[in-house]
Amino acid sequence: MDSERIDFSALDPSRDERRWTRSIDAVVKRALAERRKRLSVEQQLLRWARPVLAVAAGLCVVAWTADYFSPTRKAVPATQHPAAITLASWAANNQIPEPSDLLGVLGNNP
Amino acid sequence: MLARLSISRTTTVLTQAETAEFVCRAQRGDRAAFAALVKGYLRAGYAVALSVLSRPADAEDVAQDSFLKAFERIETCREPEHFAAWFLQIVRNRAFNWLESRRLRDVSADGAKVIEFSTTPAESAGMRQALLDALAVLDPRQREVVLLHDLENWTHPEIAAALEISEVWSRQHLFRARQILRTKLGGVPLEENHGQ
Repeated sequence: MDSERIDFSALDPSRDERRWTRSIDAVVKRALAERRKRLSVEQQLLRWARPVLAVAAGLCVVAWTADYFSPTRKAVPATQHPAAITLASWAANNQIPEPSDLLGVLGNNP
Repeated sequence: MLARLSISRTTTVLTQAETAEFVCRAQRGDRAAFAALVKGYLRAGYAVALSVLSRPADAEDVAQDSFLKAFERIETCREPEHFAAWFLQIVRNRAFNWLESRRLRDVSADGAKVIEFSTTPAESAGMRQALLDALAVLDPRQREVVLLHDLENWTHPEIAAALEISEVWSRQHLFRARQILRTKLGGVPLEENHGQ
């Protein structure tokens, strides 16, 4: 079978070895350069993302603490949360509510 | 592996396992792994691009361009051992895009004339043109198989894995392609005793 191999050497791009080597080097260089460029953008984003997240987390803690110790803060009686109570009782009893019941409970208590 | 890498400065034959290892290293930004993959698959990319485009210069450009695209998204190659199929699909897609834009360019430059694989017999002769004209009568899959096998020296299992076809189909495509090419090339001599 292999004696029937077609000689495609006239179409072989690596016949000119120097030219082909240059092509390979060019592809590798360009690929690495573009990767570096892309990574540097990602690194910039990462550099900013961390402090922004830290500040956001800090603000959350401050807001929660202020709210917790606020003299005007009142405990909300559980009876004012019928949706929560209904959902909890469904969960405790392993009940699967009908979609209409679920929508009704949640719809009444946004 | 080192022995294989030293086969040629320009071409490397990589096994699936070696390829997978190089892909993993390339995903971590290893320059040597990038170079090994280019050496291992640039010619295959060229063969697949040539099977679509018919023009060797265009095929080289598309193969190189496809490698840049492949490296740009190398992290998305989730099955490194199937890099060949993944990469050749990128080549195929880019070759079709290139063909489309070339068609538009050629039409606007030359009325309604569309230049692709010409099905007219080679007039200016020359082995290169004769081969391109003979390849023109094959269907794209036959072209891919015969170029990967006879130009790139890939085996049927490698071709089957990369083109996602069965080995039986690979053999049939090759058999049929060679039959057609022999008829078309007529007196053009075929290489003898080119053992696998």
